Amino acid sequence: MKNFSIAIRQKEGISILDISGELDAHTASQLENSLKSLIDDDKYSIIVNCNGLDYIASAGLGVFMAYIEDVRGLGGDIKLTNMNDRVYNVFDLLGFPTLYDIHDDEHEALESFSND
Amino acid sequence: MKKSTRFSSDDTQSRFELRTLLETSRMLIESQDPDFVLNNLLLITMGKLMVSKGMILIRKPGQYSYVISKSKARGWHKEGTDITLKLEVDLQKNPILRGDEYTEVFTQLGVSEQSTLFNLRTSNHHLGFLCLGPKGTQQPLSDHELEFIESLTIISSVAIANSRMFQELRQINRKLDRKVHDLNTLLELSKDFNLMVDRDEIARVFKFAMLGQMLIRTFFFALDVDDKKTIVAQSGLNEDPSQENLDALFELDDVTHCVQDNDSAFLTNNDIKLVIGLRFQNEKIAVVGVGPRANNEGYEDAEVNFLESLGNLALLTIQKTLLLEEQIEKRQMEEELNLAKTIQEGLLPDPLPTIEGFDIAAINVSSRQVGGDYFDIIETPDNGHLLAIADVTGKGVPASLLMANLQSMLHALAPIDVTLNEATGSINDIIHDNTPSDKFITFFWGKLSENRQKLTYVNAGHNPPLLFRKGEEEPVLLEEGGVILGAMPSMMPYESSEIEFREGDLLVLFTDGVTEAMNPDQSEEYEEHRLIDCLNRNRDKNSENIMQAIIDDINSFSNNVQYDDITMIVLQVS
Repeated sequence: MKNFSIAIRQKEGISILDISGELDAHTASQLENSLKSLIDDDKYSIIVNCNGLDYIASAGLGVFMAYIEDVRGLGGDIKLTNMNDRVYNVFDLLGFPTLYDIHDDEHEALESFSND
Repeated sequence: MKKSTRFSSDDTQSRFELRTLLETSRMLIESQDPDFVLNNLLLITMGKLMVSKGMILIRKPGQYSYVISKSKARGWHKEGTDITLKLEVDLQKNPILRGDEYTEVFTQLGVSEQSTLFNLRTSNHHLGFLCLGPKGTQQPLSDHELEFIESLTIISSVAIANSRMFQELRQINRKLDRKVHDLNTLLELSKDFNLMVDRDEIARVFKFAMLGQMLIRTFFFALDVDDKKTIVAQSGLNEDPSQENLDALFELDDVTHCVQDNDSAFLTNNDIKLVIGLRFQNEKIAVVGVGPRANNEGYEDAEVNFLESLGNLALLTIQKTLLLEEQIEKRQMEEELNLAKTIQEGLLPDPLPTIEGFDIAAINVSSRQVGGDYFDIIETPDNGHLLAIADVTGKGVPASLLMANLQSMLHALAPIDVTLNEATGSINDIIHDNTPSDKFITFFWGKLSENRQKLTYVNAGHNPPLLFRKGEEEPVLLEEGGVILGAMPSMMPYESSEIEFREGDLLVLFTDGVTEAMNPDQSEEYEEHRLIDCLNRNRDKNSENIMQAIIDDINSFSNNVQYDDITMIVLQVS
């Protein structure tokens, strides 16, 4: 198994996914499963904290694309935080910043949820 | 010369202006942001001349089009307004246009005639104008002021041209970065796919890679395996396509940009923008459809190429898994056949029983791994022996199953004292009841008496065994019996017949694989007369050698190509 892990926390009614390692073709389904189970549990306010994320491939980004509209349609959002420059560069290259709420840190994202 | 005079006339101001020029130029040249440059140019010049109205016009593609890039003037055009300014080409080269000289231009602009236009230009490009309103003092601009502003506009123009070039470079760089990323994705996935054997996983990874790479959420991937078209991965579809939808998708051109009005309801309802067909060995076996891109960009050649490349990669990987499975199945079947072969070989007598007073040899050669020929020699409780030979119609596994069935019946019957003709009737009925109507068995069996002198036999449609009496070249044919087994219920009883064995007699039992062996050009069979000739040539040999002589003769006749199972029993009375 590749070096990738997900942990889920709850904070102020918001689900926070801490993802770390490499999010690629092999590990994308793990993220998908986590997002799916949150949605199944009616938890639509989601922050993905990328603090430990070393690498992201297109397949990993695709998972976000697959669920963002569903989550927003249900009144929630997926916000992304704490990306390192390399990871952010990939998001930026593919045009994600115009679609996703990307924050420097988790606190900022939590605040933006309460302002929504 | 003129300049130096002026500097000396007002030294302090000159020095101040020089410093302003120097600092401004440094700030502007270092800036990579045209917006910043323009804003500063406007503010510095307005402050310096103490004018309350100013704006910057930037030329747009098109002969007379300008956009108001910056505006610090109430009552003048707002920022972002597009205007048309009809200027003679020569005027675009003038460094300064004064309102009182070119009233017509300023009327077009809608500003007062006390205003001034400063050309923003590099040595070969006219970029736009700096437009300044009248001074607060209502005094016209002095030559000195004009010259100063002109210097600033030249510096600013260079800075703008630089920063534009810089931005262009940055854009090109970004496009390159994007290309590199695309290639990396392809490369990485080709490695990832290599490790995958699960088709669902391959389709899912392909889907996510497409979603991420193209910034889409609607996607489908349909596959045609063995003429069955199915969706193997999808995202964001409002409805699954019907079988007709799928058939229609495979009929589309290989690259189809969807046009709302002309397309099927399925494509329209799901907002599919592009459908691409993927081919393997020139046959279209997959179709990929994608929805709108979230960045509102369309699908250009680069995107179509990328989609095709990644799609082909996924498709090849899926093809690979199908071939792999086929191979595994084939190997499994081979293993099972080998096992069946071992079992079938176990059903034939090995070693061959010896019967006192007889020299016996037997052989069974299957043309495939398992066959439908059968022979047996079974000892009976009364010290006699059963000799049997049979040929099941067809070949391979079905024939071998029926052969195994017959073998078990004979072995069940052998210990029981039944007459051959009645037993043959029972076997026929059982086989007729339990097998498809197109499965028959030609069957010959005989009971060798305890004293080894008498053979009672029944021939159920089998090639008649040949009995060569000592010293005779024409064989007696053992034909008595009845119809082949399994064709119909036993209406008429089978008849049995008896022969007496004498010393030197030769009996040969065989299946049609012997007499129907074909010559290489498939025009002629080996036939009985060649078998009889061969036997007569080899009468002086022992049974084993006679049998080998026949096999050799058949092989030379057929050039070693065997089409059917070959089975023989050779028996000599010693």
